[in-house]
Amino acid sequence: MLAYIVRRLIAIPFLLLGVASVSFALAQMTKGDPLAALVPERMMSNPEIVAAVKAQWGLDQPLPVRYVTYIGNLLQGDLGTSFATRRPVATDIAERLPATLELVIAAMIIGTAIGLTLGLLSARFRGTATDGIARIFALIGSSLPIFWSGLILLYIFSVRFSIVPGTGRLPPRVTPPPDVTGFYTIDALIAGDLSLFWQALAHLALPAFVLGWAVTGIITRIVRSSLIEGLSQDYARTARAKGAPERTVLIGHALPNALIPLLTILGFTFAYLITGAVLTEAIFAWPGIGSYAVRAAASLDYPAIGGVTIVGSVAFLLANLLTDIAYAWANPRIKVH
Amino acid sequence: MTHYGPRKGIAALMLAGSALIAPPALAQDSDTLVIARSMDVNSLDPSRAFCDTCQFYLTAVYETLVTLDPDNQTLVPNLAESWEVNDDFTEFTFTLKDATFADGSPVEASDVIWTFNRLKNVKGSPSFLMDGLAGAEAVDDKTVKFTVDAPNSEFLNKVSAPYTGIINAEVAEANGAVSDESAAEADQAESWFLANSAGSGPFQLASYSPEAELRLSRNDSYYGEAPAFAEVVVTQIQDAVSQAQALETGQVDIAMQIDPDTAQSIRSPDVTTEVIPSYNFVYIGFIPGAKGMAEVLTPEVREALALAIDYDGMLDFTVGGNGEKQAAPIPNGFPGTAGLTPREQDVETAKQMLADAGQSDLKLVAGYPNDNIYGVDFNIMMQKVQQDFAAVGVDLELKPLTWAVWRDELGAGEWPVTAVYYAPDYYGSGQYVAYFGMIEGYPWVTRAGVGNDGLVVNPAQADLYAKALASSGDEADAAYQQLGEEMMKDAIIIPLVSPNLVLAYRNDIEGVRYSACCNLPLAEISRN
Repeated sequence: MLAYIVRRLIAIPFLLLGVASVSFALAQMTKGDPLAALVPERMMSNPEIVAAVKAQWGLDQPLPVRYVTYIGNLLQGDLGTSFATRRPVATDIAERLPATLELVIAAMIIGTAIGLTLGLLSARFRGTATDGIARIFALIGSSLPIFWSGLILLYIFSVRFSIVPGTGRLPPRVTPPPDVTGFYTIDALIAGDLSLFWQALAHLALPAFVLGWAVTGIITRIVRSSLIEGLSQDYARTARAKGAPERTVLIGHALPNALIPLLTILGFTFAYLITGAVLTEAIFAWPGIGSYAVRAAASLDYPAIGGVTIVGSVAFLLANLLTDIAYAWANPRIKVH
Repeated sequence: MTHYGPRKGIAALMLAGSALIAPPALAQDSDTLVIARSMDVNSLDPSRAFCDTCQFYLTAVYETLVTLDPDNQTLVPNLAESWEVNDDFTEFTFTLKDATFADGSPVEASDVIWTFNRLKNVKGSPSFLMDGLAGAEAVDDKTVKFTVDAPNSEFLNKVSAPYTGIINAEVAEANGAVSDESAAEADQAESWFLANSAGSGPFQLASYSPEAELRLSRNDSYYGEAPAFAEVVVTQIQDAVSQAQALETGQVDIAMQIDPDTAQSIRSPDVTTEVIPSYNFVYIGFIPGAKGMAEVLTPEVREALALAIDYDGMLDFTVGGNGEKQAAPIPNGFPGTAGLTPREQDVETAKQMLADAGQSDLKLVAGYPNDNIYGVDFNIMMQKVQQDFAAVGVDLELKPLTWAVWRDELGAGEWPVTAVYYAPDYYGSGQYVAYFGMIEGYPWVTRAGVGNDGLVVNPAQADLYAKALASSGDEADAAYQQLGEEMMKDAIIIPLVSPNLVLAYRNDIEGVRYSACCNLPLAEISRN
């Protein structure tokens, strides 16, 4: 098992180099003005400014030279400087990634908790009104576009009834806690500031729910179908024959087996959300990596595109690895080699 | 493996639920002003920045020699307490007041010269403001004389633009800034300006996190009247609806990009909204140099297309009537525009002109940025243009594009029709001639001609522009009016709408106004 994990970890840098090369090539092949983020629209017809900017950012060099420079810098851990923010991409990402991770982890906890509960209820009370309501709730979550559900919930809970605060990670007037993990909730606790913790948590609640609700659908469906399948298996019949109550059969026997497909879904959903939480980030003014990625792509900010791609790839590779490990842990019959 | 149960899920749900009942933090800290805005910052270095957000940031942090009065027309003293201009508008002498930078050092003639030279030599986006600067001389510590290579009655207006804000030369140089001819390559100060400032304004840069937050703190050693707020936070909120919600909940004090439609949806009695005319405008541009268009998009055909547009309907369609029509590509209220009359729709004449030109079943493509600017959704605007063109038998295919692709295709002359927008850098009509004028080598000649300037150059304009710059007052106004008429005749730039602007703020906020040079002057804002 350990040897397997080490092997997988060693492969990661090589995969990343491949990803970086492909993303460099794709960015270059993409149609568009590479100066979009560097020279404002009004100045793009000014040859003097265009020449000065190209020289300053090395865009006057031939493509192979730029590729070698880029990969060379990457190997030294330098992701380059963003065309749009004019700061090192690594600084930008380090500033924004914790915000996204905090949001996504909270969303995964909420989504999994609701999805698992609804899946269990649906399977237990299959065909009844409870099943119907649970499935409709889950279906609504995954069908409603986030830009709609986000705005409506924000309107209801924040504007109309002031139950939760508005957008952002903290009220703009409040100074964030000292940076330790980058998670405002955890950093506030570390700083021993409970009031700040509640403020951070209150700001996190709604966007995390919106994002979590959106993944509830698939989790509910997977849990429900796996449980229903499990309940008709021989082991369930045996348990029932031995006099086990239906609840024990469901939770003690069918549920552990339903966890395996769920783990796959969770791993991929998590990795997907790292760069896919864009709409939630936009609506809730959440300064995360998703909005950074979209802006970078739209303005052909090559260094930022490369940086986000690498971070996204790391997320996928690690999520994959963790899923495989969790598999083996959840089901001892699965061996990893 | 029986330890998995719904209990963990319920616990998580309870945790989430407890967050929902936590008291929202709405405490109004009277010392902090919070502004909601979708920031478009490209730099915080005065010599390189060029954006609407930059305008009010730089105004708060760096002071210009002269500035614009709240009447949005008169130039008034700022760092310069007085100035003299020679008769042919080639020499400008400024006398500086006793001002100090935030570090306590005095603002001197050498700082002014250093700043203007750097602005010119760094070849950044606002460098055009120093085009024609031929000489700079420090007459004494407090007197500075600039010479330009050709008469330029707009030089004074240009030095009211926030990008010309005076920088503390010593501090900037210590952090990599260079002002001489080598500045374009040698200057390394841009990243320093992202985290620091070196101006004499009422505020200083406290911190900046791109696309998230811009924080200013009061300059405690400000030599003038101290601003009311100790801190100003500009917080990134992307769209108008979210900005309005943040304003209604009291999370922010001012929302800068609310369109009139969204303003109407605000129900909170604690919010004030004022709809005022702006100097921004959106326009369509014709590109006769586009592939295969040289013989098609003739001046007559362009005029016919301009006459096909229903300008009143456009106003309703794009901004619900909250805007003004505009005749030439110079905003209403700027010098020379008083005597200009906007075009009116004339379908019959348009059809006749197209028939005479043999273009009765014309097919055109419009490539434009898929964006929403100043409350105008470009897709909706172009659909209206498409309808109006259809009424005169012209088939317009719409091609909404991302900015990067739009720029690429524009340069290649991929399509003959486009749409863009313009916001002023300072009060003065010359900037519009310098951008939209059909004068050899000017930006829109390059765009519309796509390498064939002769296709669009209007020989009358260069002389008129020189005349306007060599005069002032009524004489200059008359020249700008003629330039406006000539630009209308070109029928290359067709202004569609000058959208109104919404000032939206909490009732306890005072002093919010719109400035033609500086957007929102932060130092004038206070809380009751």
